[in-house]
Amino acid sequence: MTADLNESVKKENIKIHVKGLKKAFGKLEVLKGIDAEITTGEVICVIGPSGSGKSTFLRCINRLEEATGGEILVDGESITDRKADIDRIRQHIGMVFQQFNLFPHYTVKENVMLAPVELKLKSKADAEKKAMELLKRVGLEDKADAKPRQLSGGQQQRVAIARALAMEPDIMLFDEPTSALDPEMVCEVLDVMRELAAEGMTMVIVTHEMGFAHDVADRVFFIDQGIIMEEGTPEQVMDNPQNERTQSFLSKVL
Amino acid sequence: MSLFKVLGEAYPMFLDGLSMTVRITILSLIIALVIGIFVCLMNISNNIVLKSIAKFYIWLIRGTPMLVQAFYFYFAIPQLIQGVTGTQFRIDIFTASLITLAMNAGAYISEIFRGSIEAVNKGQMEAARSLGLSYAKSMQKIILPQAIRICLPSLVNQFIITLKDSTILYAIGLAEIMNKAKVYVGRTMESFATYTWVAIFFLAIVTVLSLVSRTVERRMNS
Repeated sequence: MTADLNESVKKENIKIHVKGLKKAFGKLEVLKGIDAEITTGEVICVIGPSGSGKSTFLRCINRLEEATGGEILVDGESITDRKADIDRIRQHIGMVFQQFNLFPHYTVKENVMLAPVELKLKSKADAEKKAMELLKRVGLEDKADAKPRQLSGGQQQRVAIARALAMEPDIMLFDEPTSALDPEMVCEVLDVMRELAAEGMTMVIVTHEMGFAHDVADRVFFIDQGIIMEEGTPEQVMDNPQNERTQSFLSKVL
Repeated sequence: MSLFKVLGEAYPMFLDGLSMTVRITILSLIIALVIGIFVCLMNISNNIVLKSIAKFYIWLIRGTPMLVQAFYFYFAIPQLIQGVTGTQFRIDIFTASLITLAMNAGAYISEIFRGSIEAVNKGQMEAARSLGLSYAKSMQKIILPQAIRICLPSLVNQFIITLKDSTILYAIGLAEIMNKAKVYVGRTMESFATYTWVAIFFLAIVTVLSLVSRTVERRMNS
C-alpha cells in the first residue's frame, strides 16, 4: 500500500520521462535508445565525448529534433506525438544555445520581451517590467537598450538566459552554454545558472565544465555511442565511475 | 556629331522613350516582387507540388534568353491560343512587354529572397521556435527582417538589370528609349550622339539608384 503510494507520488513528480528515445539522421543512428526519468526541480548534467549524442538528446526534449523512435513525456503529456501542440509545450521549456542566438535586429530588452508580447501572454508594459527585472537579475540592466553585437559573449549568453526565463518556464535546457565563451566569461554565466538551480528550476545541462557539473548536478548522465552508459550522483559517476568508458572519458577531461 | 545639337532636337523623343522605359520597369518590378515572394514561399515550402512548380518556373526563365521570352509572349503564345481556341487572339505590345519583364525579374527575385532567407543563421529560427513562437510568427518577426537587410544589395542590383534589360523589348516594338533612339538615328544618321545620350541616361538613372540603395543600407545597419 505504502509502496504503491510512494510510486504514485514519484510518478507525479516526473517532469520529463524519456522512453526508448531513438534518433537517426539518415543512416546515422545518433541515439540508440535512451531511457531517463527527470523529476521536478532536478538538475541533470549530461557529459560525454563530442559526437556522442548529448546535444541531440537535449534537442529532442523540446523537439528541435524529431525523434525517430521512442517517446518523451513532459508533465505526462507526449511531446513526440505528431498531434502534440508543440508551440504551447515549448512555451514552458526554455532553451539556451551554445551560440546564444540572440536576435541581432532587436535591442537586449526587446529580445527578452519579444516572446511574451508576441504570444499575448503579457501586455507590453508588463513584459517590459519583467524584462528589466530579469536583466537586473543577470546583472545587465544597464545594457537594456544596447544591441546584442555590442555585448561580450558572456553578456550575450546572460541575456539569452533572461530571454528564456521571460517565458516563465519550468524546465530549462542548456546546450553547451559556455563552450563558445572566452575562459574569463565562463564564470559569470555559470553563476547565473547556479542561482537558477538553487531556486529549484528543473534543468538539463549539456556541458564540458566538469567542476560545475560536479557542483550543481543532482544526477549526471554519461552519454556515449548514443546511450546513457552510466548515471548517478556526481560522486558516483565522476568520482567513482564504474563503466570503463566513463573512466576513460573522465581521465581525459579532468 | 554635335552632342548638344542632337539633344536639343531630339529631347521630346528621348523623354517619351525614357518615360516608357521607366514606367515599364517600375510596373514590372512591382509585379516581379509579388511573383518573387510567392515563388520563394512555394520554393521553401514542404509541399512537393508547389516546390516543383517554383523550381520549374525558375529553371525555364533562367534557362532561356529574355529576347526569346519576349518573342514567346508576343508572337508564340498568341498563336498557340489562336490555334487552340480557333478565334482571333492578339496581345498588345505593352502587355507582352510587361509580362516578359515581370516574369523574368520575378524568377531572379524569388531566388534572391530564397538565398537571403537561407543566409539567416539557422540558430535564429531555432531560438524563436524554442520560445514557443509558431513558424509563421518566427518568419515574420525574426527571419524576414534580417533577410530583408541581406537581400537589399542584390535586390537593387536586380532592379538595375531589369531597367537595362527593358531595352531588349525594343525588338518587339515597345516604344521605349532604345526604340526611339533607333528611329531618330534612322532619320538623321546621328548614331554617335544619339547612343551616347542613351548611354548617359542609363548611367544617370543607375547612379541615382545605387546612391539611394547605399543610403538605405547605411540607415538600416545603423
